[in-house]
Amino acid sequence: MAKSVKKFIEGNDAVVDGAIAAGARFYAGYPISPSSEIAEGAAKELPRHGGLYIQMEDEISSMAALLGASLAGKKSFTATSGPGFSLMQENLGLGIMSEIPCVIFDVQRSGPSTGAATKPAQADIMQARYGVHGDHSIIAISPSSVQDCYDLTITAFNLAEKYRTPVLFMADEVIGHLRETVTEVEPTPDQIFNRVQPAPGTTQAEFRPYNYSTNMPAPMPPVGNPTLLMRTTGSTHDEKGEFGPGPDNINRVTHYLTDKIEKNVDDITITRRYQLEDAEVAFITFGCSVRSTITAVDMLRAKGVKAGMLQVVTVWPLPEKEIREVLRQVKTVVVPEMNLGQLAGEVRKFNDYGCKVLQANRTDGVLITPQQIISALEEE
Amino acid sequence: MKTQIVLSGVGGQGLISTGEILGLAASLFEEDMYATLTASYGSETRGTFTKTDVIISDQPIGYPNIDTPDVILCLAQVAYDRYVDKFHDDTEVYYDTDMVTPKEGAKGDHIGFPFRTMSIEKVGNIQTANTIALGLIMKRQGLLHKESVMKAFAHRFAGKDKVIAVNEKALDLGLSL
Repeated sequence: MAKSVKKFIEGNDAVVDGAIAAGARFYAGYPISPSSEIAEGAAKELPRHGGLYIQMEDEISSMAALLGASLAGKKSFTATSGPGFSLMQENLGLGIMSEIPCVIFDVQRSGPSTGAATKPAQADIMQARYGVHGDHSIIAISPSSVQDCYDLTITAFNLAEKYRTPVLFMADEVIGHLRETVTEVEPTPDQIFNRVQPAPGTTQAEFRPYNYSTNMPAPMPPVGNPTLLMRTTGSTHDEKGEFGPGPDNINRVTHYLTDKIEKNVDDITITRRYQLEDAEVAFITFGCSVRSTITAVDMLRAKGVKAGMLQVVTVWPLPEKEIREVLRQVKTVVVPEMNLGQLAGEVRKFNDYGCKVLQANRTDGVLITPQQIISALEEE
Repeated sequence: MKTQIVLSGVGGQGLISTGEILGLAASLFEEDMYATLTASYGSETRGTFTKTDVIISDQPIGYPNIDTPDVILCLAQVAYDRYVDKFHDDTEVYYDTDMVTPKEGAKGDHIGFPFRTMSIEKVGNIQTANTIALGLIMKRQGLLHKESVMKAFAHRFAGKDKVIAVNEKALDLGLSL
């Protein structure tokens, strides 16, 4: 049986445990509230597991170090919050273009800029999707419990390795600092995905570090390995990793970077349904707002209102099919979130069914309450 | 069964630590119990208002903050004043009689002891006022077994036998009140 340990810890600590369990062995970062406990935990735990922690001078270099370590073969991660996440965008783009797996934990706080450094928000969702310039797609996961911080961290590393791409873990101050019960089950080897390696005996002449002919990435040997030269660049490149600025190549690379995520959406996305079977009104939400929404659903059910919730665990790519199902099923959808409507706008894009889509927003740095969510429904 | 407990006072009184003991005892050492803990988190430092929300339940917990406490411990006037208008008729209000003057006509069942003075005179350690109060809350609420709480102390303060012993003394005092 798999080894399992029960703990009472905060989300940020569970992230570190999850990263170690997933096989991460490199962290580069610049501590920032409310994510600093991840840096602290990584500094403590990585050396105990043969890994390396580096405190960098800023988040630009942190992201660069992450990509370097991952190219060399190590599963790598960093943690930050809004201001640091902004600085990481350029090298995040390099990670996407060069197809370098890594995981970035953004423990969201109130912004923009320094904002209210210790107060929660969920307002980096659009930055996660579009912060990097140029057409691309991205995988972003948002946890709603300390258990998620452990389990979904492992998922995040697996997706990063499988799809050779940076994965964003969009936590928030509430979940990062919430302490609660978590059961950490050590994953078995078959539950861990390690990047695909070239077939044994592959020669340099045969080797292609990139493959644009399918929606799955090419094998990725570590840079510096004795047999195969692994080329990469942030410039648009061909299968050999060499600069390829021809119109056809630019076009296929652009499509490939989007398609390898969007065409695998069923494999990537995770949703959870709560009391949706007979629901007449539904909430669609993510992250810390899920906690308040579950309580709101329970309160409404106690009053005889048939309420339910769809949790989008994977914020990007959006689980379009599951969101459409809900919009088709109910007459009213409310989207609770701690921003001014970033997810609500996305839900409306799918609303071909005449469903009324309402918002429940909170932006004062205080966790949205179940009462506020219920009020948004009742005030319609 | 869900119990919503607010531990409030000023920074340095060990309230988050007491909250952790509650959460650990419930979630690790009791059968089928869940717990959440959220602490006020800001630029506050030693001596300014602080509070910890602990929810203990036999069901998974949704919203983790506490708007109306079932149980509140107030170890400072500033904390009492901040919460007094949120008490309902059944709220059990535990307060330090040396530090807090209850508001006239306030709702809730007020239970006052000089926890801080007792910690000095009867336990010999000023940092155990919160543990005395914890023992009293456990007894009156029928919440948690002493054994689970002692396991939580042993877990939280592993290798610090003196700390564990002094907390057991304080806990026993609270349980005997």
